[in-house]
Amino acid sequence: MTPVAKMVGANRVIQGRGIVHPLGDASLSAAEEKELRQELVHRALEALETDITSE
Amino acid sequence: MALTLSVHPVTELKFADATKLDGGVLTVDREALRQLLLEDRRLDDVILEIVNPGESARVGIVFDVIEPRAKEPGTGAGDFPGVLGPYQIAGDGETHVLRGSAVTVVDPLGIPGAGGKSLEMSGGPGQESPYGVLHHLVIVPKLAGEVERHAALNATRLASLKASAYLGGTAIGQHSASEEVFDLSDLDSADRKELPNVAYIAQIHGHQRVVEADEHILYGSNTEGMMPTPLGPTEWLDGGVLTSYWNMQVETYFYQNHPIILELIHRHQAKELNFVGTVATVAASDEVDRDRTSMMAAQQAKWALGANGVVLTKYGGGAPHADMGKTAQQCEAIGLKTTVQVSDMAGDRRAESALLFDHVEVDAIVYVGGNDVSWPMNPVERIISSNDQIAGAFAAVETVQASAVAGVTNQQGISRIRVNVY
Amino acid sequence: MKVVHYMNQFFGGLGGEEVAGTDLQVKDEPIGPGRLLEQVLGGDSKVIKTLICGDNYAAENLTELSQEVIKVIREAGAELFVAGPSFEAGRYGVAAAGLCAAVQAELGIPVVTGMAVENPGVDLYRSEVYIVDSGQNVGAMREVLTKMSAIAQKLAADGGESIGNPTDEGYIPQGVLRDEFVEKTAAERLVDMVLAKTKGDPYTSELTVTSFTPPPAPAAIVDMSKARIAIVTDGGLVPKGNPDDISPIASTNWGSYDISRLDDLEGEDYQVQHRGFDTRFVEQDPDRLVPVDVLREMEKSGQVGKIHDVFLSTSGLANPIANSRRLGREMAEELKNDGVDAVILTST
Repeated sequence: MTPVAKMVGANRVIQGRGIVHPLGDASLSAAEEKELRQELVHRALEALETDITSE
Repeated sequence: MALTLSVHPVTELKFADATKLDGGVLTVDREALRQLLLEDRRLDDVILEIVNPGESARVGIVFDVIEPRAKEPGTGAGDFPGVLGPYQIAGDGETHVLRGSAVTVVDPLGIPGAGGKSLEMSGGPGQESPYGVLHHLVIVPKLAGEVERHAALNATRLASLKASAYLGGTAIGQHSASEEVFDLSDLDSADRKELPNVAYIAQIHGHQRVVEADEHILYGSNTEGMMPTPLGPTEWLDGGVLTSYWNMQVETYFYQNHPIILELIHRHQAKELNFVGTVATVAASDEVDRDRTSMMAAQQAKWALGANGVVLTKYGGGAPHADMGKTAQQCEAIGLKTTVQVSDMAGDRRAESALLFDHVEVDAIVYVGGNDVSWPMNPVERIISSNDQIAGAFAAVETVQASAVAGVTNQQGISRIRVNVY
Repeated sequence: MKVVHYMNQFFGGLGGEEVAGTDLQVKDEPIGPGRLLEQVLGGDSKVIKTLICGDNYAAENLTELSQEVIKVIREAGAELFVAGPSFEAGRYGVAAAGLCAAVQAELGIPVVTGMAVENPGVDLYRSEVYIVDSGQNVGAMREVLTKMSAIAQKLAADGGESIGNPTDEGYIPQGVLRDEFVEKTAAERLVDMVLAKTKGDPYTSELTVTSFTPPPAPAAIVDMSKARIAIVTDGGLVPKGNPDDISPIASTNWGSYDISRLDDLEGEDYQVQHRGFDTRFVEQDPDRLVPVDVLREMEKSGQVGKIHDVFLSTSGLANPIANSRRLGREMAEELKNDGVDAVILTST
C-alpha cells in the first residue's frame, strides 16, 4: 500500500496496480499486462537511478 | 421516510410441527424450512440446528448472523430489496423483528485456521459476545456436487436471507410488544439550527478481496466500481446493506441493529445533534481508486449531507484502515471534524504498530483492541460445523482469542473492548 | 532497599556549565535531591552511592559511563537505580534515561527516572524504562520523587505488575497497548468524541498517531547496466509447500528462493502466504508480484546488469514495526553481502 510505504518513509515509491496484483492487471490481455509490468519495472529502475535528496 | 420496528421478543426457540410465534416461543417446522431452502438446486441438503444462550456449543466457521425480520405487507419495500425482493427503497414502513433470535449460517467453504470466526455460546466468550444471549437457528448448507465458489456462496447468502424472512414472517399479523420509530424528518425544524450536523461514512467492503460477480452487498450490488453513495440511516437497518463474503468482524445482524446508526439516531432524538445521513463507501485495491473514493466520500458528507462532523468506520483489515485514514484526512481538509474507529493491528502490543496512517489531524481515534483478550475453554459439548476437519479443530480448542469470536471485536460499533496506552 | 542515585553536576552541587566536562564522581551518601529521595522511599531504604557526572562528559561518553555506573552498582549490591529527575535538561535527560536502560538490561534491577515530556531522553527511552513526567518546574522535586519512588517500589515488589496506567501513576506512556472491557460501546465512544470535537470541547483519543523518521535515501545507481538487482516482496510468494514455513500473518521469518534458471514464474510452482488480500491473481501468475519475466528480459537486453539469483519473501500482513525492521535488516545484510546493488521491493 502506497500510503503506508510513504508513512514509514520509503524514499522511492512507485505506485503499483492494486493490492491484488501490484505488477499486473487481470483485466488486461496477456500482452497488455506484460507491457504494464515492463512500464512499472522500468519506472522502478528509473527511480533507482535518480538521486533523492529530500522526502 | 420513517421506519417502524415492531418488536416481538423471542425467549424460546425450538423445533415443532409448525412454524409459528406464540407468545415468546418461536417454533420451527424443521422439514418445511429445509424444503424451502432446498428449492435452490445448488444445495444438496441443509442441516438445521438450534443453539441457546449458555449452551456448551461452538458453531462455525460463521458465514453470517442475521436477525429474523419480515416486512409488514404493503408497507415499504419487501424483505432485502434487490436480493429477495424487488427494487424499492429499504427503511420505510413497518418491519417485524424477532428480537432475541438469530439465523446463524455456517460457511460451507470455511477453512480451518484461515482466520474465520466462531459463534461461542458458553464461558467468557459467550458472555462477552453480543451473540451469546441470542437463540440461534443454525444453518449448515451442504453443497450439491461441484459447485463453483461464487455459486456456493451465493446459494448460502440466499438461504440465510430466506430463512430470516421465513422466521420473521411468523410475526406478521401479531401484536408487537413494543415499537421503535426512526423518523429523522424533523431535520429542518427551527430548534435544531444550533446543533452539530453529524454524518456517518461507512465502508461496506474492501476490494483487496475481490468480490464475486453475483455477490450481494448493497441492494444486491457487489460494489465493484462503486462510488461513495449517500444512504438514509434506516436503509441500513432494513435490509439495504449486507456483509460481503469477506466478513471480518462484520455481520448483517449489526447492519440491521447498527450500533453507530442507532446511537446517532438516539442522540438526534435527544436533540444533541442532527443526524444528517450516511455515506456508504468501499476501500480500494488500487491507489487511484483510494484517492478518488476518499475525496468523494468527504465531499458528499459536506455538500450532499451538510455535515460538520463525521464518524468513520472501516471494513476489514489493513488496506481499509489506510483508506479510512485517508478519507478522514480529506474530511478534515474541507473542515469536517472526524472520529474514526480502528481495529487491533498491533500484534506486538506496541502503539507504533497500531495505525496505518499518520495524519496528525485524524486525532480522535476509537481503538477496538482485542489482541490481548482470550479465554481458556473447556471442551464444548456440541460442535456444529461444515466438515470434520473444522469440527476436529473446534474440538481441540483450549483457548479462544477475542478476534476469533463473532461479535467481540466487531467493527460496527458494538465492541466494548478499548485499548489503553501504558 | 539499597539505592544508587545518579545526578548531573548541577543537581549534584559541583557547579554549572563550567564543570560540565567532569567525569564520574562517586559519593557514599545521598546528596541534594538524594536526601529527599531517601525520605520519600521511606522504610529501610538508603542511598548508598551517589553518582555525579558532568553533562558534556556523559553526552560524549555514554557507553563508557554506562559500564562504570554498572560496575559501581554491581559492586555496591544495589537493588534500585534512580536517575534524575532531569526536568528539561536535555543532555542530563538523555544520560539519565540511557543509564537506566543500560543498568536494567545488564543487571535486571528496578530503574526509574523522571523528566519533562519535551526532554529528548523521552523519545529515545520511553519504551524501555519508566520515565515519570516531571513537568518543567524544578520546585516540584518532592512530588516528582514521590511518583518515582512509588514506581520503584512496585517494580521491586512484583516486577511492575501492579503499576497502573500512566495517568494515575504519573509516568510517560511507554506505548504498550492493553485491552480493557469498558461500559461504553465503541459506537457511544465514537459519537461522544465527534460531538466534543465538533463543538470544540476537549476529547481524548484512545490512541495517537506515530510519526516515523524516514531512513536516509541510498545513493542512486550510476550505471544500471552493471548493477545487480534483487527482488524482495512482502506479499508472501513462496514455492509450493512453503518450505520455510512462512506465516501468512505477522511472519517472523523470510525465505530466499532461487530464480537463477527461470525466465518466468509459473503459478503451479508457487503459493501465497498472506491473509490480507485476494491471492488468486498472484497464484495464477506470480510475475504479478515478483516480476521475473520482465526483469530477465531487461537483463538479457543489457538494461540491467544482473538479476540476483534469489528473491526474498515474507508476509507483511499485520506485522509489528519492530519485527518488520528486523526482517528488513536481515534481508538487507544478506543482499549486501551477496553484492546486490539495488532492490525492487514489491508490496501488496
